[in-house]
Amino acid sequence: MIAPPTSQTGDIVFEARQLAKEFDGGQVAALRGVDFQIREHEFVAIVGPSGCGKSTLLQMLGSLDHPTSGSLTYRGASIPGMPDPSAYRAHHIGFVFQAFHLLPTFNVVENVQIPMFEGGLSRTQRRERAVDLLKSVGLDHRLGHFPSQLSGGERQRVAIARSLANRPSVLLADEPTGNLDSENAVHVMELILKLHRELGMTLILVTHDPSIAAQASRTIRMKDGRVVPADSPHP
Amino acid sequence: MTFFTIVVRSLVRRPVRTGLTLVGISIGIAAVVALVGMAWGYEKSIVRQLDVIGIDVVVSNMSGGLMPKVFDESLEEKIAPLPKVAATTSVLMQMLSIEDAPMMMISGREWGGFTWDKISVIEGRLPHNATERAVVIGRLAAEVLKKKPGDTVQIEADELPVVGIIDGQAVVENGAIILSLNVLQEITLNEGKVNFVDIRVTPGTTKQEVTALCDSIKEIFPEGRAMVASEVVGTSQGFRVARAMSWSTSLLAIIVGVLGVMNTMLMTVFERTHEIGILLAVGWKRRRIMLMVLLESALLGLLGGVLGVALGALGLKILETTPAIRGLLEPDLSPRLLLISIAIAVVVGVISGLYPGWRSSRLSPSLALHG
Repeated sequence: MIAPPTSQTGDIVFEARQLAKEFDGGQVAALRGVDFQIREHEFVAIVGPSGCGKSTLLQMLGSLDHPTSGSLTYRGASIPGMPDPSAYRAHHIGFVFQAFHLLPTFNVVENVQIPMFEGGLSRTQRRERAVDLLKSVGLDHRLGHFPSQLSGGERQRVAIARSLANRPSVLLADEPTGNLDSENAVHVMELILKLHRELGMTLILVTHDPSIAAQASRTIRMKDGRVVPADSPHP
Repeated sequence: MTFFTIVVRSLVRRPVRTGLTLVGISIGIAAVVALVGMAWGYEKSIVRQLDVIGIDVVVSNMSGGLMPKVFDESLEEKIAPLPKVAATTSVLMQMLSIEDAPMMMISGREWGGFTWDKISVIEGRLPHNATERAVVIGRLAAEVLKKKPGDTVQIEADELPVVGIIDGQAVVENGAIILSLNVLQEITLNEGKVNFVDIRVTPGTTKQEVTALCDSIKEIFPEGRAMVASEVVGTSQGFRVARAMSWSTSLLAIIVGVLGVMNTMLMTVFERTHEIGILLAVGWKRRRIMLMVLLESALLGLLGGVLGVALGALGLKILETTPAIRGLLEPDLSPRLLLISIAIAVVVGVISGLYPGWRSSRLSPSLALHG
């Protein structure tokens, strides 16, 4: 069953049909026949209890993992069948992780430049774009600082700037506020929503937090590796 | 920030491990420089000696140890009348332990032969005649043995007076003890025996004519060989053994170096699984990850090579001054050897990084992120 999107406008960006993922030779089923469509510019929140398969699904959308069966497409092209998944990740997808995943030995402006090595930019262009991105997340005063010198909220803002390095059309965020206090969580979510609105990116966000899910244009609820049919639209 | 910055940063952030790996590679490369430098230096010293004396063809026995086996001195009389032979002279050469020097070249030269011509006396005099039981000593040998004219030197069971210190214009000559052939034959119980006949050809002799002369000598002396001076080093069994030994020992040192770098790079890759996962997640291609690891190990090799060359050169300079080596050879520290050594180190680095690089590029991004 394909969950209908709330907005019928915009091209289909992602489409999953009977998507399944098993681990340990089939002993653990993380996804059990998931169907959905996500359209251009949507903000979709994926919610559900721990272990329901939300993060696994997000990783497959980002081609970090392959499904065991079923189909998953990005703008009509099979994601598992992509000849160059790294190019897909570099140019179409931005990732924001709960654990930030910054490189500790590189400073803020260097961390943001890391994805740009696949973007064909010159050294100067990489730095200029990184500085611009850090300005947009309000961290242009922290360029030379290392991740260990930043607060959790600042680290996540660096990670958000890094996710935008190659101007992707899709932002995949896995519990982006999960490691933050409530004040920082609010700021980070405001930033993500601002970027979503201003850049027109498709935003898919995995969260436990109902208040964050409530801000999404649509919610995909998951339980035991399946999409729960009662999809609740938001105005 | 450039890609190279990322490579360098990975090495710099673990200074102890990087330092220890560099020490490992540099010791291997230092061994290459020292061993090959000694072998090449020895070869060059001999070539220079032959050149200085003006020897065109060398006749010796095929077999022997450090020195070729002796043969009858009458061979010289058979060679002298051959076409294109301008001069001949017989030599008995021995490597003997002399007093505190573990190994020294003793050269017994036919009195009046051309091998005495280029010797210039620094102090004292040459022996008066073929039968005078006296020696002259090369200036390096004199330093090693701490001898001056008027002293005596013990050769086998005999004690001979030192009558002069000489400069032979080649390190082998300067590191040798030189005396009349007849005296050395008597002392070493080799009466009537020599192990070299040195030949000068007439001026203007072509290469083909020299080859023809060598063939003629081979007919007269089937168990021996006649070599053009410039080819002595290339064809000599002794030199080939020395060269093979120096390279095979170097190879062992290189293998140890490869294993050291490979171990370091594998550990680095295992430790950086999470980091590699991040790089894959943000879109780095697998070949870029592999290139990063390869460049890191190549850089380790390059730095280890430079350090090793410096260590090896220092080692050779120290070895050169030891009594065991001094005067016997002049280590070769040519730019060619130094460049070859650094190139070997870089190749060692690249080879050592291949497997770790391949491993790192095969990581699953999702597993690596959680690793």
